[in-house]
Amino acid sequence: MTTSSIVITGAGGWLGRNLVEAVAPERTQVRLLVQSADEAAVLGLAGRSVETVVGDVRHPDALDALFAGVEAGATVVHAAGVIHPERAVRELFDVNVGGTSLVLDRARRVGIGRFVHVSSNSPFGVNPHPAHTFDEASPYDPYLAYGASKREAEELVLGAAQRGDVDAVVVRPPWFYGPHQPARQTQWLRAVRRGRFPLVGDGTNRRSMVFTGNLVQGILCAESAGRTGAAYWIADAEPHAMRDVLATVRAAFVAEGLPVSGGQPRLPRLAGVVAEGLDRALQRAGRYVQPLHVLGELKETIACDISTARREIGYEPAIDLLGGMRASIRWCLERGQEL
Amino acid sequence: MTALDTEVLIVGSGAGGATTAAVLAEAGRTVTVLEEGPALEAGAVAPFSLDELARAYRHRGSSAALGSPPVAYAEGCCVGGSTEVNSGLWHRLPAYLADRWRRELHLDEFTPAVLDHYADLVEGWLAVSPVPGPLPPSSTVLERGAQALGWRHEEFPRVFRYDDRGRGTKQTMSRTLLPRAVAAGATLRDRARVQRLVRAGHRVGGALVEVTDGDGHCETLRIRAEHVVVCGGAIQTPALLQRSGLRRGIGGGLKVHPTVKVVARVPERLDHDDVPMERITEFAPSIAIGGSASRRGHVGLALADAGVDPTPALADWEHRFVYYASIRSDAGGRVQALPGLAAPLVTYRLTDADLSRLARGLVHLGEALFAAGATELHASATGAPVAHSVADLGAWWDAVDRRRANLMTVHLTSSVRMGELGGGGVDSFGAVRGVDNLRVSDASVLPEAPGVNPQAAIMTIAARNAHQLLGVLR
Repeated sequence: MTTSSIVITGAGGWLGRNLVEAVAPERTQVRLLVQSADEAAVLGLAGRSVETVVGDVRHPDALDALFAGVEAGATVVHAAGVIHPERAVRELFDVNVGGTSLVLDRARRVGIGRFVHVSSNSPFGVNPHPAHTFDEASPYDPYLAYGASKREAEELVLGAAQRGDVDAVVVRPPWFYGPHQPARQTQWLRAVRRGRFPLVGDGTNRRSMVFTGNLVQGILCAESAGRTGAAYWIADAEPHAMRDVLATVRAAFVAEGLPVSGGQPRLPRLAGVVAEGLDRALQRAGRYVQPLHVLGELKETIACDISTARREIGYEPAIDLLGGMRASIRWCLERGQEL
Repeated sequence: MTALDTEVLIVGSGAGGATTAAVLAEAGRTVTVLEEGPALEAGAVAPFSLDELARAYRHRGSSAALGSPPVAYAEGCCVGGSTEVNSGLWHRLPAYLADRWRRELHLDEFTPAVLDHYADLVEGWLAVSPVPGPLPPSSTVLERGAQALGWRHEEFPRVFRYDDRGRGTKQTMSRTLLPRAVAAGATLRDRARVQRLVRAGHRVGGALVEVTDGDGHCETLRIRAEHVVVCGGAIQTPALLQRSGLRRGIGGGLKVHPTVKVVARVPERLDHDDVPMERITEFAPSIAIGGSASRRGHVGLALADAGVDPTPALADWEHRFVYYASIRSDAGGRVQALPGLAAPLVTYRLTDADLSRLARGLVHLGEALFAAGATELHASATGAPVAHSVADLGAWWDAVDRRRANLMTVHLTSSVRMGELGGGGVDSFGAVRGVDNLRVSDASVLPEAPGVNPQAAIMTIAARNAHQLLGVLR
């Protein structure tokens, strides 16, 4: 069952925009928390049911405005979060944990119907061995500060569900890709096309990824069929070896009529180990350097199993990696972005 | 040098020491209790007064764990220890923690049945009760805010005994277990500081003690003992063990409940002689919200922590009260005895997650206080904007940073840590590893900070450990 009223935080973000496009035509009230008037203007075009509130998810008054007049029984999708902090590691905790605490509290007060919390693979870290795949029984083992912040947020949400405060479901997407991507993802596509993005190690380490369209479907399945207090991995059908991810991206460019150049640069796995060590040391001092963080994670297997979501909530990823990457490339081209 | 003999020497007369003394003395053992601070006459010092700070606390109530930011802390230093100066709020050790400690650290005899048995025993000695009649206004402010927001809240019972007219007396150790121990034959020496324990191979032979008499004259005593139980609290206990050459598992792992404060102005005139017994538990166990001592001086100190001139706000101080948010912290600290210095070096390094949790606690506390009708809030971060409505609370996230947050704690634990696993300094019953007749029984053995007032947990575990020691003595 879906509701006529939905509240979405982080609506101006990568996932948020995809979600708004999907739900705006069907719902009578789409209440969005966005970060700026510019985001509000763009999202306002998605449909007449869209109502935007500009504000910070950490600010009680912004959330009071977000939930003012929202009908009891509404769905809340909490998608606001920081993955790559701009200033300091502290932002991860303020937004990801603090924001969740404040949103959850207002959702309970309004008497919403279902709370869908967008989590991550990071509370679970990296797979303990190359053939391992995470499932819903995997224990927490957070990867650095982001993972710790998303774990603490999950625990708030699952705790609230367990206490009966809110009917809440958690979805755990891994690395995602798809339309409305931020500049960093366009840079990444460009680097892969030009043969400038390195494989770290031999590239046989597996990564689960999720196309934003699939993730939106997973969130809607969790909204309508998820079990209160449950968490579900939502990803594309299968994880891919890292070298196959890069090869598929290059194949997607070719399929869209864009030639690729260069070969496949490689870095020894040690480079990733060194990057992770530096990243850890800097994060302990409160600092975050995105390239180090990304390089440190590239060597790892981060793979998950979606069979619980398939079985329990009827989630079926419709788009595969090639199709999703082609859609991403087309989206960039339609906006005149240079690839 | 004068020498004395005793069967069991107990160092410290607070929650851990007094409990240990009462159990052992009533079982007929020969017990000597040493207390570094003075014995204060009952009723001589007004609770939560500046006079109390001067006479009943170590360093007049202002010590600090160094770090960024530093965490100010207070320790009782008088007969009865911190039970003389605390709020007397009583909360049994949360069951989920006891369960986790038993499983992860392989604690022996740490089942709910055992812990309940000793908690019942201790509560029977002390009288633990809620306030008779209505809550005082400082508590109803929290109750009103929580109710408006639909948050869980509860009145915590306290170790208070009430007379027919409803006047309460806190059941401190100097009023309860210490007199019981003395009546059963225990010797209690105040103003007796243990310099170090005397070790001989795998045993301790006793202690070297500096005793000060009524005229301020010092004398060094040597006390021989068959068993020594150190109960000096999470700072003094590891410092003494280190001064005595014991370092393995001792002093690291210090935990505190870092705390931020808000001075709230509310419409009604408030009571100022007591600490609120009402708590907001909605965000437990990671965040606890309650009220602090709020005499005029405390309100002034808390306003100073906000970095403002306290004079204008103090003009109507009877409408103002200090509330707090405290957190369970991911960080750990360290106690290090330094050669030649009486006070150890205490360090504590808050994580970014801790600082964020403190800011979150502060924002939630602000929400509750405005929901209760507060009109002005000063937060304990230098330069934090004074809040006049919920719209001002968002700015507090950035105000609580390493440079500007003014933090304090009254709960210090975990600097020795019990367990069969886990690298702590003592076993399941507080026996120091590698020494046959030396034990620790105080806040320092708790494996983690409990997220609630630790006195009940300390006394329950001390009673359990003392009974186990009785079995050894027989």
